[in-house]
Amino acid sequence: MKLTPLQKRAERRARNQSHVDMNLVALIDIFTILIFFLLSSATGVEILPSHKAVKLPYSTAEAAPHETVVVTVSAEDILVDGRVVATVDEVMAAEGDLIAPLQAELERLRTQRKVIREENEAASRAVTVMGDRQIPYRLLRKVMYTAARADFTDVSFAVIRKYEAS
Amino acid sequence: MAVRRLRKQPASLEVTAFINLIVVLVPFLLSTAVFTRLSVLELSLPAQSSGVEQLKVDDLKLEVVIRPDALEVGDRIGGLIQRIPNGAAGPDTKALAALVLALKQRFPDTRSATVLASPETPYDVLVQVMDAVRATYRAAGAELVHTELFPDISIGDAPVAQRR
Repeated sequence: MKLTPLQKRAERRARNQSHVDMNLVALIDIFTILIFFLLSSATGVEILPSHKAVKLPYSTAEAAPHETVVVTVSAEDILVDGRVVATVDEVMAAEGDLIAPLQAELERLRTQRKVIREENEAASRAVTVMGDRQIPYRLLRKVMYTAARADFTDVSFAVIRKYEAS
Repeated sequence: MAVRRLRKQPASLEVTAFINLIVVLVPFLLSTAVFTRLSVLELSLPAQSSGVEQLKVDDLKLEVVIRPDALEVGDRIGGLIQRIPNGAAGPDTKALAALVLALKQRFPDTRSATVLASPETPYDVLVQVMDAVRATYRAAGAELVHTELFPDISIGDAPVAQRR
């Protein structure tokens, strides 16, 4: 069978073309879904800072965290809004419930944060305690007592949310 | 006569730029993603100005005392209701939840409870006990149904002597 020059050309072209076309459709599908999922989950604004050293307890509590003063109690240090104010060892060794440096720091924050509207007065008295799972109640009690002395009366505990029937 | 047929090339999309973008974005978002959702457990502290409380007869003042070896559920007036010995893995919060649910049915209007911890109680145990007293969750299909029990929880120090 005789081919016209045009047909020969088309055949040559088809023969010489290497088919190394990867099939990326499934990959793109997965990535697109992942991106949407991650973008939508990343929109939640983080109010509470997360520390690697502090392992929060699990709880079924549902209340969302508010923007308050955060007192972090790790196994070694006590931090107020990220600044170390005391070490756990010296607090545990101390007699009495008052932690003087913590009280000073909290009182400093209290005077710094002036409330403008009367309604927000209650919110300025709130403090969130992020405590490690292993800390004893004795230490927690000292922290709470000090917070109460520094006029932070509204204490809440930060926990990791778990979904579990009891 | 030979039919001239145009051989069609398959349509191909140029997606390289898109894939580049996605390959950069996915690891970035994965590294910043937070998979633990945080929430807070509210405490109710007694008001500063509250005077001496009038104790009524048929009113429940629920107290849960965390001992190293057991949980003691009691009423501040009526005394010990039940002592729940610890299981193999710490306090038996399931039994506590069942008991508290039964108490809630007897006193539906009471909302406050007190959890009393000894100095060496770990924070984790305290939170678990508070959870059991605060609310109960029941699995109904894929959903968790939430029943509020005694949501206003105060915490305090356990009395030293064991109640019998």
